[in-house]
Amino acid sequence: MRLNSFKYLVKEGFTGLWFNRVNSFASLCIMTISLLMVGISVLLSYNITNMIGAIESRNEVIVVIQDGVPDNNVTILGEQLSRNPNVFEVNFYSRDEAWAGMQEDMTEDEKALFQYMSKNPLPDTYRIRVSDISELSETVAEIEKLEFVEMVKSPNDFANILIGVRNVSTILFSAVTLSLIVVCFVIISNSTRASVYARRREINIMRYVGASKSFIEIPFFVEGVVIGILSAGIAFGLTWFAYTEIFKMFSTDVNMLSIFGLSALIPFEAIAVKTAIAYAIFGILLSAVGTVVSTRKHLNV
Amino acid sequence: MVEFRNVSYTYPNGQQALNRINLKIEDNEFVFVVGANGAGKSTLIKLLLRELNATEGEVIVNGFNLTKMKQRKVPKLRRTIGVVFQDFRLIPNMTVYDNVAFALRVIDAPTKYIRARVPYVISLVGLTAKAKSYPNDLSGGEQQRVALARALVNDPQLIIADEPTGNVDPARSFEIVDLLKAINSCGTTVLMVTHQHDLVRYFGGRIININTGAVVFDEIIGGADEAQ
Repeated sequence: MRLNSFKYLVKEGFTGLWFNRVNSFASLCIMTISLLMVGISVLLSYNITNMIGAIESRNEVIVVIQDGVPDNNVTILGEQLSRNPNVFEVNFYSRDEAWAGMQEDMTEDEKALFQYMSKNPLPDTYRIRVSDISELSETVAEIEKLEFVEMVKSPNDFANILIGVRNVSTILFSAVTLSLIVVCFVIISNSTRASVYARRREINIMRYVGASKSFIEIPFFVEGVVIGILSAGIAFGLTWFAYTEIFKMFSTDVNMLSIFGLSALIPFEAIAVKTAIAYAIFGILLSAVGTVVSTRKHLNV
Repeated sequence: MVEFRNVSYTYPNGQQALNRINLKIEDNEFVFVVGANGAGKSTLIKLLLRELNATEGEVIVNGFNLTKMKQRKVPKLRRTIGVVFQDFRLIPNMTVYDNVAFALRVIDAPTKYIRARVPYVISLVGLTAKAKSYPNDLSGGEQQRVALARALVNDPQLIIADEPTGNVDPARSFEIVDLLKAINSCGTTVLMVTHQHDLVRYFGGRIININTGAVVFDEIIGGADEAQ
């Protein structure tokens, strides 16, 4: 195709946008809202995963060692624990350290109560951290089978809640994304149909004078892609603004900080480029495919 | 050249529009196609433009076998045909110049060629002074001349004029046919469908009469203009 023809077709695409401006504007708004909702659900899911990661890394499993186990066997148990693929940190916490720590937390009355105790009642323990909380119960079961292990204390309930939240957010995110893809398709399809209808006279003449199928389709494609790019841009701007405000709220609220820690919310700067690219690809691809599919359907060339 | 070999066409609702038609129109011929409403004239044109595909037989136009033609080759066929309609089918928001140039733009013609060819064709139909006017500012006859210029601009081998004088006053009708005759004398085959028997009688030539989907008359008659 000649450059002049290409320029002409692009110009025709923009003319079509202006000619159907009410319809184009409606498509733009709905596309923007759809993209925004997909973006929000992706970012939410991303942050929930990150938060779960942050909480995961602070969860300890306590391995209580049987009483009277010799030191070298305790060391062997420590090595066995380190070899478990789901364990990424192993710390030995001796009964004396535990006793000292406990006493530090005691009130004077409690100290008085324990002062006549002849022997430290606490056991030696290993405090370990797991890398994947969803495999916690399997890991605990494996550790319980090891020699010299008295018992294993793990935050199973909490882990189950976190896994539940993550699963629900994944399902929700997938459902929202899928339904919005369908909505975007319908919107673009309707917009193209209206555009084809508005230009039926020209299209008819084009057909009679021997315009190729692609020549007739390109202006509609341009229209769709321009709507896609514009809505991606607007959705990105709105996401930037909203996310930054939410981030500010989270990073200054003491309660939020105490629950999720400093690393819980990902700063927008860290995900801005990825978000922009995702919006652009999603917006352009959806509108391009939507236009092509609907022009094939509505244009009998 | 146009050839219909045993062509039949039946619409999906079962209505038979054409029944075993055999017809041959040689290059440079000027043919009037006449017939009552519903006789099959429109179906004939749709088959020539490959809007419809014959349910039986073969249609050959300008060297293309339309029956075997793939859909993607249809634009190539249509570039060898110029079409003029009763309702002109001009784009109202384009000037005369742009309406004519449009036919070249959509077939990806070079800009230089468009700039040279369009004014020339507009001058052929006598509308140079109105090149910048919009269709709604022109009379019916003038609009039809713009449509003719658009049909001519691709330098087609065949011009199909579907009742081109239907929306034009009688005096201007003769001018339109005169113009088509002039185009024909330059080597373009012209097939004109009409209801106006006075025009046919006046100009004469080859007349094809279609009735209930069949050719009932195909003869050359002498015209009143030749007698004068």
